[in-house]
Amino acid sequence: MIEYPEIDRYASLDSPLHRFDPRAKLIAFLSLIFSIVLVPDLKVAFIGLLFAVFMLILSRIPLTFVFHYLEWVAIFILSFFVILIFTFPGEEIARFYLLSITAEGLYTGSLITVRAFSALILIFPMIGTMRFDTTIKALYRLRVPGSLVQMLMFTYRYIFVLMDEFQSIWTAMESRGFQLRSNFYALSTIGKALGMLFVRSYERAERVYQAMCSRGYTGNPRTLVEFDIRMKDYLLAVSIMGFAVSLHIASFTGVI
Amino acid sequence: MSVAISVQNLGYVYSDGTVALEDVNMEVYEGERVVIAGPNGAGKTTLLLHLNGILRSTEGEVEVFGRSLKRLRREEIIRDVGLVFQDPDDQLFMPTLFDDLAFGPVNLGLKEEEVRKRVKEALSILGLSGYENRCPHHLSYGEKKKASLAAIISMEPKILVLDEPTANLDPRSRAELIEIIKELNEREGITIVVATHDINAVPELADRVYVLNRRIIAEGTPGEIFNDAALLRDNNLEVPEVYKLFEVLRCFGYPCEELPLSIDDAVAELTRTINERHIHLHIHEHTHEDVNRIRSKYEHHG
Repeated sequence: MIEYPEIDRYASLDSPLHRFDPRAKLIAFLSLIFSIVLVPDLKVAFIGLLFAVFMLILSRIPLTFVFHYLEWVAIFILSFFVILIFTFPGEEIARFYLLSITAEGLYTGSLITVRAFSALILIFPMIGTMRFDTTIKALYRLRVPGSLVQMLMFTYRYIFVLMDEFQSIWTAMESRGFQLRSNFYALSTIGKALGMLFVRSYERAERVYQAMCSRGYTGNPRTLVEFDIRMKDYLLAVSIMGFAVSLHIASFTGVI
Repeated sequence: MSVAISVQNLGYVYSDGTVALEDVNMEVYEGERVVIAGPNGAGKTTLLLHLNGILRSTEGEVEVFGRSLKRLRREEIIRDVGLVFQDPDDQLFMPTLFDDLAFGPVNLGLKEEEVRKRVKEALSILGLSGYENRCPHHLSYGEKKKASLAAIISMEPKILVLDEPTANLDPRSRAELIEIIKELNEREGITIVVATHDINAVPELADRVYVLNRRIIAEGTPGEIFNDAALLRDNNLEVPEVYKLFEVLRCFGYPCEELPLSIDDAVAELTRTINERHIHLHIHEHTHEDVNRIRSKYEHHG
């Protein structure tokens, strides 16, 4: 079986973050993410990371689930870390043969790594605590441009269909003896299979568009949304955003 | 009976030059059930797409309740004509079933309360109550197929056009779907147009059949169409198995004027004949020959 990218698998749990109004949650967490990735100070960024982990624990999303998604991104981020510590100009503190590690490199590398991980971890309490269609509706209500909302909506709806389609092409290939090897033949076959997937998607897109027109689509997504924002949502949003701002005050004044 | 759909001299050529439809003439009366039968690639889907103005051909004319689709805006057309697509993954494009069923009514400009009421009703008609928050990719194929019909029913069209509604369904879902379509016609008086090559569904879903193969080849009641062996052979169509069986029985001396098209018809036919007269089946010299003739008549399917 293929593994579907279900970021909202744990949307049905119950936690303060699951009960948080979707719109307030998006705004609060997005400002927190932006705040953390712009922090210039490593210590402050580290506090941001701790807060992100705290939010993750508060959301009750299983950590194994989160780590599973973080694994691949971690490889990407850590490679940046390695490149930075060896290439950043500055005062040399250690040396491996021809490569030298600089203090500035270590600092910048760590800062970027900590910021990136904080932002990534915060994604989970932000959109992992509600069903993805709720996220889309919240964006719609927040007056995010229609075409953007529709792009997200269709991606979410059709990524599973496309994965199934690719899976069936793949099964058909394997059942006729295709084996994945690192040679030119295998690569060109996969290329052709992907090409077929594009053709199929294109044709499907046309049929979906016809189905939409059949039901009165005129270019604007319109849907019914029921959200109920309460005092506690405002309070939670304001405190998260307050924390986001205080990170910058702290690093600016040098309190920490 | 007033005319619900009238198609006159409709022609359609795809952009690559393939002729899909040629001089198609067809009429569907209000409250009627019409099946469009034809082989693969006969232009069934293309014809259906013309019935609610998704495709607009310059050649010929399509009228719904006496009004030409050329002069109508799409919102006006879809109020009357609802089209259910063959592949439910094309039809269900919103993240949840509720959103999908609400999509049409919202676009029709209905009030929120009315939209919610219609979504609820449509779900209950299809036996999908409680599925509001389900995502389409978590549904079985049969459920998706029902959901795509529900998404059109929530718009309350006067004419329901369905493309291969029974294709790829398991027997139970197929029977349920046929039953629902029949009920919509009987209870709500909705006019039904179905494109299919599921020949066993034809007697259940059709008052009248059009055989389409780029152009309209024939028109008639299911009985008339199934009686024309040459027509069926030329258009890759078949007759229901029960029809063949009674044709064979006739060779053994079973007295049957009108061959039954479905199991229900067959039961009624048998009960009537057995009550009315004594049935004596026998084998004569010519029986074998007659049976072989019938078998070869339907042999074009291998």
